[in-house]
Amino acid sequence: MTVKRKIRAAVLVSAALCYGVVAAQTPAPSPKKPAPPPGAATADKLPAAPQVVTIIHRLNGLKMFRLLLRSQEQVAIASLGSAFDLMDDVHTNVIAGLALDDGETIVAWLPEAEVEFGPVPVPVTAAPEPPRPRNAPTAPFPRMSNSLFNQPDITVIGPDGKRLAAKYIGFDGVTGLSILRLTKKNAMTVAAFKNEPLNIGETVLLFRPEPVATTRPMLRPGLYARMGAIEGRIQNILPAPTGGVARLRVSAPKLSQENIGGVALNQAGETIGIVDGMEGTEATILPATLIKRAAQRVLEQQASVPRPWLGVKGEAIESLKFDELMNHGWELNRATALADKHRGIMLTSIVPGSPAALAALRAGDVILKVDDKDIKSADDFTWWLEQAGPSSSVEFTILRPDRPVEEELNVKLSEMMDPSFSFKLRNSFSATRGFSLLDQGIETIALRPPVASQLGTTAGLLVVYVDPVTAAFEAGLQPGDVIQSINGKAVSIYKTDLKPASYTFEVVRKKEKLVVTIPAKKR
Amino acid sequence: MRKNICELIRRELDELMLDETYSTAAVNHLRECPACREFQQKQTKLRQIVGGLGTVAAPADFDFRLRARLANESSSAATHFNFVAWPVLRRGFVAAALLLVFATGAVLLWNVFNRPAPADQTAKETTPPEVVPAPKPRETVTTPNTPETTPKRDTLTFAPNKRPQGSRIDRSSQLAIRNTRTLATIDSSSVGANVINRAEPGNSSATFPIDASLQSFKVSLDDGRGNAKTISLPTISFGSQRLMQNANQFAPKRVW
Repeated sequence: MTVKRKIRAAVLVSAALCYGVVAAQTPAPSPKKPAPPPGAATADKLPAAPQVVTIIHRLNGLKMFRLLLRSQEQVAIASLGSAFDLMDDVHTNVIAGLALDDGETIVAWLPEAEVEFGPVPVPVTAAPEPPRPRNAPTAPFPRMSNSLFNQPDITVIGPDGKRLAAKYIGFDGVTGLSILRLTKKNAMTVAAFKNEPLNIGETVLLFRPEPVATTRPMLRPGLYARMGAIEGRIQNILPAPTGGVARLRVSAPKLSQENIGGVALNQAGETIGIVDGMEGTEATILPATLIKRAAQRVLEQQASVPRPWLGVKGEAIESLKFDELMNHGWELNRATALADKHRGIMLTSIVPGSPAALAALRAGDVILKVDDKDIKSADDFTWWLEQAGPSSSVEFTILRPDRPVEEELNVKLSEMMDPSFSFKLRNSFSATRGFSLLDQGIETIALRPPVASQLGTTAGLLVVYVDPVTAAFEAGLQPGDVIQSINGKAVSIYKTDLKPASYTFEVVRKKEKLVVTIPAKKR
Repeated sequence: MRKNICELIRRELDELMLDETYSTAAVNHLRECPACREFQQKQTKLRQIVGGLGTVAAPADFDFRLRARLANESSSAATHFNFVAWPVLRRGFVAAALLLVFATGAVLLWNVFNRPAPADQTAKETTPPEVVPAPKPRETVTTPNTPETTPKRDTLTFAPNKRPQGSRIDRSSQLAIRNTRTLATIDSSSVGANVINRAEPGNSSATFPIDASLQSFKVSLDDGRGNAKTISLPTISFGSQRLMQNANQFAPKRVW
């Protein structure tokens, strides 16, 4: 009897063990009906979100250096892991994406998209061209052929967790959104978009990708993720100067950094927009209409569309301190009059060689109107420049500290993917004379000897990008090369004052020394 | 020597009952040694306290019950190693082991059949062949016979390079390596992302695996003026926030 009991106990223990093993390896049950916490929406109340996808963007070491170049002041790499491979992935970014109502176009805010595009265009140093008629079609931004940089390493994951093949079409410079196209038609369920009007107080759901703790670490190790959501309410609707909605402000107590770039839906499952900013528990949302417009711009060109570029830094008069006006040459009486009017943008610095510089705009000038439209805030100014479009001509009404009356000034805008970067680099390393690697479409970062030795050289400049429409690219210079010398002179900075007919680069590629000759011609 | 005498005397003090008298040697030593005198006083006091406690009478059957329990325990200890019962027990263990092996096999098979396809594999299956691998540029290289470790000085004549070299590494090799990682290496707690709360809304979407980057980005920088810093970035991040704090924004305020 005792033995039988013990056998039974042994069998029971074994069965329990087996169950434990099986349970540990079984995927987490799909929590279709989780217990609702007090005050929060239940899953039952949630709308289906077939338009919300997950996007995985991977960056390799070279792209990360390019990002570093944009975010830091002039620096050199002093040390690096001994096993570091420039071409190997170093970062994976998981973000939300929005499928548009055509079922094929995906829109997402890739935070590091700028490392996927060409460097800043060279400012035109020649005399300005006669103004082009407004709204005249502009030449598309140079479309790059399939290269290391223009085909980002992106994976799209549908709402059902399946991977969808997609192609990167381009980047919209105005909104900062990236546009992708699914290679398979009708791969996604079409979801509705919420057309205006939107109501203050309306509940919205902010979708964001989140990591999930896996319950099966033994046999399938890895990180798991899925799309989650938090609730928020529309607090404010910011109107656009031309009518319609420019931005929405949504208040959400559980807002976190992961919500940036997330998709906002209303309770009926209609798309409201994409979160493009966050401050405390408030998020700003780019409305669906502007998202569609951005996608349309890129799809029409089938390439990246830059934003209009003036080449200035400035501040709205309404947010300037009185002293700042005085410091820019404004007399007391005129500064008081300006401050009282609460309109205009005072320019604080001008990029050399930029459209603003060519139009003789100076720091201290105040732009009162763009094409006869009053400018009250920085957002107004941004809006009207964007309405004018890249490479278009605009007419500014300006006031100057040393002139008593308003002046009209015609300015031909240029185009730029990343205005901040251009501003920083062009200001630091003026390209008005001599030879600049940046002007040749070559982005580099300096290497200290210990790091250079890892790449088979003693010192030099690591090439992190070569613009595909430059002579340097044609000559065969590649990202990952280390430039040791230019015309026999060792290089360790961004530019030299050389002006010969051609430039001979001594480069080290995969620990082999090569010579690349680049003719001195403009891009 | 004195220490040894103290020990002997203290042992004697310990062993004596309350009513017994000390030896002459002990008495003489106690007269001379203050430490042992103190010890003796403490001992005496303790014994008086213990001796002052009342006696507790044991139950009448205490002795019987104690013996019975001892006998019972000794008998059960004997059956523990009873070799007559062992074959039966062994069958149970064998059955349990078989069950365990069967269950593990079933789980393994289940995992094999339900494993999600790697990203690139899916892309290969579904992407039309319009994205072709970039061909190497035509180049004429004269390679001198120098050791590989030292840089070779070559003259290179490039034909027009319409496309850069396909320099991306093969992801399949990375995936192979990833499969050998332990869970600890991909802990995302440092990236500041919260693990989803199952009780929150919006958790009805599908869960999918992510292959995080293997290589971490940690570099030391200097600006040539004696200022140095190290930048270390997480291998994975969630959301569209910028990786580097002072990175530029796409919609920069006050820059046009």
